[in-house]
Amino acid sequence: MKSALVYQTLVLAALALVPGIGEALYFHDKISWRSSIPASEMVSVEQARAWGDSAIWVDARPDEDFAHNHVPGAFSLNEDRWNALLPQFLAAWSPSKKVVVYCSSLNCNASREVARRLRDEAQLKNVFVLEGGWEEWLKKK
Amino acid sequence: MTSATFNLKLRTSNILWRIVDLIVGGIFIYAGALKMFDPVRFASDIDNYKILPWTIGVALAFYVPWLEIFCGIALVLRFLYRGGLSILTALVLVFTLATVAAKVRGLDITCGCFGHASQHWSFPAHIATNLAILAALLALCFQAAAKRKAAH
Repeated sequence: MKSALVYQTLVLAALALVPGIGEALYFHDKISWRSSIPASEMVSVEQARAWGDSAIWVDARPDEDFAHNHVPGAFSLNEDRWNALLPQFLAAWSPSKKVVVYCSSLNCNASREVARRLRDEAQLKNVFVLEGGWEEWLKKK
Repeated sequence: MTSATFNLKLRTSNILWRIVDLIVGGIFIYAGALKMFDPVRFASDIDNYKILPWTIGVALAFYVPWLEIFCGIALVLRFLYRGGLSILTALVLVFTLATVAAKVRGLDITCGCFGHASQHWSFPAHIATNLAILAALLALCFQAAAKRKAAH
């Protein structure tokens, strides 16, 4: 009885391994196995500030957080209202600008996703994720 | 109780358990498919829990969706059924514990259970869904065990 259960479990675990490996090979150039964000796509608060007017700030937090407070001059662009917010951001964007995306903190995910969509869907270059997000920006205000 | 009434009750009970099989299996096929199409996002969701190193998270992001799909299919087809039930029960237990641990540590996590659809689930909604699925899986485990016992 128990050996049948172990056998079934192992068969299913092995079956899932095959397409899993296939998918990992297919996506090999879309994801880094070493770090969640390549170092080249991260930027510190100090570095981003040093860019001055050549940087365009993107707030990936929900609307209410943006309304409460945000980096001066930042554009709100979150995934909830992506289609509605993207045009106004693109209208202000120019190829010479560096895009700095932030969300609430070090643990949040939104800035990574928004940065990824800006690169993949809007085909923008020079898109960076702010290390530590809004919390870090506040600390170094 | 007459034999005909007993048979009718048994058949109705079997149909109901079959429906639970299909619903639970369907949920995991759906959840697995959503994550399978976007492993990059799922890897980020796993990383948000701050439990595993990034490399292991990426490996799981490629593997777990397929495991869910195959186990869901096992439930739907009743093939490798007990193996599927055991794996899914273990997965949901781990997901639930990880969610509670993340909450205790004050992490602002994205659930990731149902890809983009579950992005803004609150913690209670997240836990309630997990517990409901866990209850259904445990009920199926007990039912399968009772059936095996009766057959012997």
